Amino acid sequence: MIDRQQTGNIDWILIGLLILISAIGVAFIYSSSHYLAKNYYMKQILWIVVSLVALIIFLFIDYHFLVEYSIYIYILFLIILICILFFGNFTAGAKSWIKFSFFKVQPSELIKVIIILLLARIFSGYRKKYITLKKGFLSGAIVFFPVLLTALQPDLGTALIFIPILLASLILAGINKKTFVFLLIFIILVSGLSWHFLLKDYQKDRLTTLVFPEKDPLGSGYQILQSKIAIGSGGLLGKGYKKGTQSQLRFLPARHTDFILSVIGEELGFIGVTIVLIIYFLFIYRLFQSILKSRDRTGVYIIFMVAVMISAQFFINVLMTIGLFPISGIPLPLLSYGGSSLLSNYLAISLVLNVKMRRFANI
Amino acid sequence: MKDGKIYEDLSLILRRSQIVFIFIVAIFIILVLSFWKIQVFDYQEYWRKSEANRIREVILPPQRGLIKERNGKILAKNVASFKVSLIRKNCENIDEVCQKISPLLNLDPSVLKKRINKFRNFPPFLPVVLKDNLSFKEVSILESRKIEFPELIIEAEPKRYYPHGGFSSHVLGYLQEISINEFQLKKNEEKSIGDLIGKTGIEKEYEVKLFGKHGQVLEITDSLGRHKGEMKRQNPINGQDVFLTLDFSLQKKAEELLEGKEGAIVILDPRSGEILSLASYPNFDPNKFITRFSDEEWNKLVSSSEFPLENRAIRGLYSPGSIFKLVIALAALDAGEITDRTSFFCGGTTIIYGHPFSCWFKAGHGSINLYEAIKHSCNIYFYNVGKKMGIEEISRYARKFGFGKITGIDLPGEKKGLVPDPQWKREVKNLPWYPGETISVSIGQGPILVTPLQVAAFTALVANRGKKITPHLILSKKPAISKNDFRGDFTKNIPIDIKSSFFEKVIKGMWKCVNENGTAKAAKIDGYDICGKTGSTQVISTEKAKALTAEKKIKTHSWFSGFAPMSNPKIVICVLVEYGGMGGETAAPIAKNLFALYREEYD
Repeated sequence: MIDRQQTGNIDWILIGLLILISAIGVAFIYSSSHYLAKNYYMKQILWIVVSLVALIIFLFIDYHFLVEYSIYIYILFLIILICILFFGNFTAGAKSWIKFSFFKVQPSELIKVIIILLLARIFSGYRKKYITLKKGFLSGAIVFFPVLLTALQPDLGTALIFIPILLASLILAGINKKTFVFLLIFIILVSGLSWHFLLKDYQKDRLTTLVFPEKDPLGSGYQILQSKIAIGSGGLLGKGYKKGTQSQLRFLPARHTDFILSVIGEELGFIGVTIVLIIYFLFIYRLFQSILKSRDRTGVYIIFMVAVMISAQFFINVLMTIGLFPISGIPLPLLSYGGSSLLSNYLAISLVLNVKMRRFANI
Repeated sequence: MKDGKIYEDLSLILRRSQIVFIFIVAIFIILVLSFWKIQVFDYQEYWRKSEANRIREVILPPQRGLIKERNGKILAKNVASFKVSLIRKNCENIDEVCQKISPLLNLDPSVLKKRINKFRNFPPFLPVVLKDNLSFKEVSILESRKIEFPELIIEAEPKRYYPHGGFSSHVLGYLQEISINEFQLKKNEEKSIGDLIGKTGIEKEYEVKLFGKHGQVLEITDSLGRHKGEMKRQNPINGQDVFLTLDFSLQKKAEELLEGKEGAIVILDPRSGEILSLASYPNFDPNKFITRFSDEEWNKLVSSSEFPLENRAIRGLYSPGSIFKLVIALAALDAGEITDRTSFFCGGTTIIYGHPFSCWFKAGHGSINLYEAIKHSCNIYFYNVGKKMGIEEISRYARKFGFGKITGIDLPGEKKGLVPDPQWKREVKNLPWYPGETISVSIGQGPILVTPLQVAAFTALVANRGKKITPHLILSKKPAISKNDFRGDFTKNIPIDIKSSFFEKVIKGMWKCVNENGTAKAAKIDGYDICGKTGSTQVISTEKAKALTAEKKIKTHSWFSGFAPMSNPKIVICVLVEYGGMGGETAAPIAKNLFALYREEYD
């Protein structure tokens, strides 16, 4: 299962950065919710512990084994997604939660990790220079079903995160001009169709306010505007921990979840934000470096997809807080309050550590 | 170990992955530059905007549910009232503000300061209520000078009002401001500071139902505090109305009958356990202190020697006196120690365990059987029965009949009383049990303590021939009148396994007690089969009483508890009057009045 050489290859720097980011998260979840009756920060700490345990448990299982069986887990999760679509309980209008005795888990978050495994399986023996139509459609189909089921919940934000994972696998497999044009047409077609059929009015509003945020400062532009005011009024050094007026006066929406970076921006200023950005940069840099340490193609695909997924979540969230991306409900990975997202990201990092640990083949 | 067969050539995909990283680095640089622009370059503009952000969250209080009696008469409602609050965050100098607003509110600056300091650990944007129940004059003065005091807000709030004053005040309870300790409890998660919550009675017991849920609205104001609009309104959810089992006229009559005395009355329906009346006197007018501030009225009530805030019906502890003879009789019948044909001789006094014990009837009752012993409340008879039983058996049965534990009424703070036994005496008093104490307990004296509610519940158990009910105040589920009513569910009858024939025998004695010139004859109503038992409990021991002078005649607590009619009983009435003298003198006539009123109303 696991031997001394492998434990010697555990990437402690990556784990250290992971815990550092989580700890910053706890500090700012506390700052933005301490005056509420619910102990969000305690819950988050509990989730971090649970996720760390899950991370360690999955290190014991060789990633080849996980990749091998990913198709079954994938099918199982599709069935679960279908079930909650019909019988799930409602949270803020979205049918996306399964309740366990202590925790609520969103299966649509966890399926991200499974998609990574399954795509890695498909491309594990792929040696052509560019992607073929057949492989392209197959990988597209794998991502399509979870996207559809999650978008119907309706949780468009989470569904959105599956796309960068697919793109990552296609980029590695090789995109030539023909595929690129094909993809472009496809994306335009899908977005056109979904604008007319899938998107709700409030989601359309979010997109239009992206272009004209001042148009409706009290409507859907409100959140973006308040977030920008929070960040901007923080200035160079910030208003001080727990002293942000935008956050403490509750002008900011979703302070401890999607807009937690705005709280950091307001309370710690440009310096604080830059430090957080640098920590994330080091974390993502470490992930990209890890790709080079992989022993086989499967490993490369896994780490690359994880790195792209985390980067995409990070960029979407950060761009959202400064009004350069529509509000889509994607949290800041590893830092925002939210157990399911935290758990799935920890599991993804567990896969990276897994690949790195087993970089020397045993014969 | 490295060899080509194991390690395939991955250079192509590795190169592609690192190209992607270059893009990521580029985005990072763009991000840092964007934050630089917003936070450093455009700082002034955003800082101004954040200062101009005069939107504030306003809590919308829900309308508290009404409390109604069983026929729909309103016992507690809401009326409009005004309060003024201060937002600490908007104050430049709290001392100065206190000085300035002190004459407007007619409050001392130090009082205001103390009040504000109480909430210093809460976020500074939460409003602290400075004064409530504002008069119209105060409101108009404050409103006209609003611009001078941007830190003050004047809000309307629904205020609790009890239209019948002190009527059933112990049942209804009262509201006071949530304390800081209570605020931190989980059950008060939905509350905000300054909320008034139920502190006793039904107001406390059904707080969650009555309260409802706060709403909120984001209010937009300009820099002068003028209202410019609102957004994100979430309306409050009003509390549910609560229907009580109380009967207005019975409760009113019961309180009238107790006026000028100290005591309690419990009237309940033995079939369901519904309480028709639960009176405790003296009572209090809760309207006088529904405020966030303790004032003279409140201090007067708290320190009064008559304890008007104490609900004597559920919290008053008394010796049951002769009422307890019913417990002894039932226990002895069930244990097989006596039958209805067992007789003892009462000569006025007797010597037991070397001590003299006397009957209240100095001439003695002569040879007396169970029925006559209950009817005349003969002490000697029950001394003998108690001696045969022993304290262990007596206390076991007393507990079985519901003494020594709470009845489970839906009111907070019910006391459980005390059923003594040797173990209790050893543990609490560190003394052995004396056999003579068993003899005292046999007639309901000694350390045994009960509440009037327990006696009423026990009487209901007798009336039901052995079925126990839970006395309650909330009207049961059926029939609900509207969606907003909250109804409880207490309709459970638990049989205790004692033969109903034993109950019939005791009931026969109780019937004689009222109708055949027994001690409870003052409760008799012609043509109405009332069964009852009186009790008179010595407040001080006989030795001390002898030392008292003639004019300071010793007074006893006066008990009556009974039910009617004899078959298929519909009503149980228990009366206790402190220092009321003999049970037959004071308590029984009160009960008679109430039986008569019930008969008039319901039969």
